[in-house]
Amino acid sequence: MMPSPQRTDRKMFWRIIGRLLVANPGRLFVILLALGSGAAITAALLNLQIDAKRRLTTEFRTLGTNVTITPRRSSQDTSAVTMAESLLERIPSQSNGQTVSRVEFLYAPVTLTARSSSSGQSEKPRSGLAVVAGYRFAGGDFAGILPHRVVDGANVVILDAETCALGEKVASQFHLRPGERIELKVKRNAVPCVVSEVWNFGGTEDNQIFLNLASAQRLANTPGQVSLIQLSVPGTPEQIERYISSLQNQLTDVDVRPIRQFTEGEAKIYNRISGLLTATVLIILLLTFFCVMAAMTNVAMERRNDVGLMKALGGSVSGIVRLFFAESALLGLTSGFLGSTIGILISIWLGKAVFGLAARPRLIVYPVAMILTVLVSLASALPLRRLASIRPASVFRGEA
Amino acid sequence: MFARLIADSFTRRPRRKLLTASALALGMAVATAALSVSLDAGDRLAREFRSLGANLLVTPEADSLPLEIAGVDYRPLDSGAYLPEADLPKLKTIFWHNNIVGFAPILEVPVDAWTKSSQTVSAPAFSVKTALIGTWANHQVNLPDGSQIFTGVAKTNSWWRVEGRWFADTAAECIVGESLSRRAGVKVGDKLQIGPASLGISLVVTGVVSTGGAEDGAIVAPIAIAQKLANKPGQYRRLYVSALTKPEDNFARRDPKTMSPDEFERWSCSPYVSSIAYSIKQALPGADVRVIHRVADSEGNILIRVRSLLWLVTFVALLAAALAVGASSAASIIERRSEIGLMKALGASSSLVGVLLAAEQMLLAFVGGGLGYALGIFLARILGERIFGVAPEPSLLVFFVILALAALVTLLGSAPPLHRASNYEPAPILRGE
Repeated sequence: MMPSPQRTDRKMFWRIIGRLLVANPGRLFVILLALGSGAAITAALLNLQIDAKRRLTTEFRTLGTNVTITPRRSSQDTSAVTMAESLLERIPSQSNGQTVSRVEFLYAPVTLTARSSSSGQSEKPRSGLAVVAGYRFAGGDFAGILPHRVVDGANVVILDAETCALGEKVASQFHLRPGERIELKVKRNAVPCVVSEVWNFGGTEDNQIFLNLASAQRLANTPGQVSLIQLSVPGTPEQIERYISSLQNQLTDVDVRPIRQFTEGEAKIYNRISGLLTATVLIILLLTFFCVMAAMTNVAMERRNDVGLMKALGGSVSGIVRLFFAESALLGLTSGFLGSTIGILISIWLGKAVFGLAARPRLIVYPVAMILTVLVSLASALPLRRLASIRPASVFRGEA
Repeated sequence: MFARLIADSFTRRPRRKLLTASALALGMAVATAALSVSLDAGDRLAREFRSLGANLLVTPEADSLPLEIAGVDYRPLDSGAYLPEADLPKLKTIFWHNNIVGFAPILEVPVDAWTKSSQTVSAPAFSVKTALIGTWANHQVNLPDGSQIFTGVAKTNSWWRVEGRWFADTAAECIVGESLSRRAGVKVGDKLQIGPASLGISLVVTGVVSTGGAEDGAIVAPIAIAQKLANKPGQYRRLYVSALTKPEDNFARRDPKTMSPDEFERWSCSPYVSSIAYSIKQALPGADVRVIHRVADSEGNILIRVRSLLWLVTFVALLAAALAVGASSAASIIERRSEIGLMKALGASSSLVGVLLAAEQMLLAFVGGGLGYALGIFLARILGERIFGVAPEPSLLVFFVILALAALVTLLGSAPPLHRASNYEPAPILRGE
């Protein structure tokens, strides 16, 4: 049985396209290179753009805490007030899938007495007033919650005694070094401890002695109470704002406030950086789009002879144009797919190089990059339509 | 003849040349825009980071230990050391004076504050014990060289929001913290009495400040008022300095005492936060200068990340532009096979044909590269103005890099087809095989 004429047509159509593609391997390579590099950069930048913004909000957490919770003061009472320690457990530990680091403090003025160190030096005891900060934290490590540097640390493990860390100023004031024993006293309550590390914050924390919360409560005689809770909430400025307002609705008897120095500065800088990134990526993509299109048009123009030949053999204009568009679409799809894959690999590598963590590949990038590539490819075949109106003879004579 | 051949090729088919040139120009515009933005963004972002406030804290070295809880210092006023306010203009004479964006001295005094009731003469409307923070709002500082600058918390702490207006540094005015104003019902325009009564200080409230910090429960007033209350004329206790810095690397973290003289010079000639702290300490005798780690460290951290991110994006953009441009020039050579065949048939040597075509491509590269540079700079300017409000300076370095890149990419793109062309036998090509 003879195949129907329509089927022969279709078979012929694909055969011509196949020949068009492979007839000149050099040309095919050039096309794949131009379209593929465009697709690769589109995919890489889009993927990185989504990922980098999220990573940046995490980077900002090196600023430390950005939200404080304080007991609400009544209008008359001006003395130091405290709130329940258990509040820490009522704070949601997640915000948009990321961990919220929480720390609570109890502050109390104490008398510090340095005892001669265990090595047995007979030194006069040094003593004076200082502020003790009892602390307890959850989610993340303390250095991440309140950024500081360890100036001096002892590699000693003390099993039988409580340890405490000193702010740098406290250490220099009382000439204390890690490993020495001190005693903290409020009225009749006393807590002995061994200095484990000296911390440098560069702020008022340098004047404080850091002790675990339970011991500080024992000292101050305020069991189960804290003076301040600080949170390190990750996320974009809007997400942080939402978290704060939902927390305030949940905890009605305390004040939840952003540390504006950090939330506002953070918001400002974040917006600048993300604006910069978006704009740079947009400009690069736009220019790359045109650049690839110019390169492709250059390649397509070479098809004059083919068009002329097809017309001479009696091909209809619409048939010829369809042929070239089909070829362009096919090329666009192939190089779009290859390019996007390479681009995503590039963005994974970029993410690793910048943030130390591989960027997560996002599938949405594939269709976007591929559609753009096919569009470029089709757009660059447009000038061929103009060729459809030329006379085959003039092409062969080399006139057009 | 050589020049004529080239000129001829340009005039004969202007459209094709135009296409190749525009692909080149657009590719190079990508490269230029990305390069200019990356070169410029680091410095601009460093300035943005100053909205986080001071990164250096200056306190008296001989000070006793502050007993500060919730922003209130419980030390008696006569204990501890102070620093002279008169030394502050020296900050603008140090080596890094251009990097110092602003500074503000602070002197805190615990005070009694009350308002005189307007209706009745009996009891005061309210009375509280609070802290009065004496500082500069926007203080005029006369520098030793005769010029003047204005600095103060209004500049360094951009997150302080004042409803009403800031106090004038020379007037008997103050602003009150938001929570204090709510608690005590103090409004803008009220007269606040600050005790001890014997001093008879009365301040006009010009604004309500909200900071999200300890200042929300305090009164902020000109430092002269605090000095009068503390009986410490011309002195302050804390100084916040906001400085533009270079992100610290491992070298910057080393102790300057352990450096060799050469290293020390390199360290002190880089605007690391630690070397700026060092030179402030030299300028203010008796001062202890500390780096506020949570601000300085995260600033360095983020700056390094963003900078490397931009550089890598630039690199990828350069690569993609190079590939696309290379492809375009390759296409323009492939297309000219029959011309090459003709030239060879007429007796031209392979090398002559190669040189001729390469010269043509180079000419295109320079024209396209130049145009691309102009377009890229234009786009980078728009970008800089939109994002930072300041356009990046066009850099000559970028111009030469772009021209070199354009030439390199074009040559690399044309090389393989040119190489193949040199092996062509003219006869089959001319026959159209």
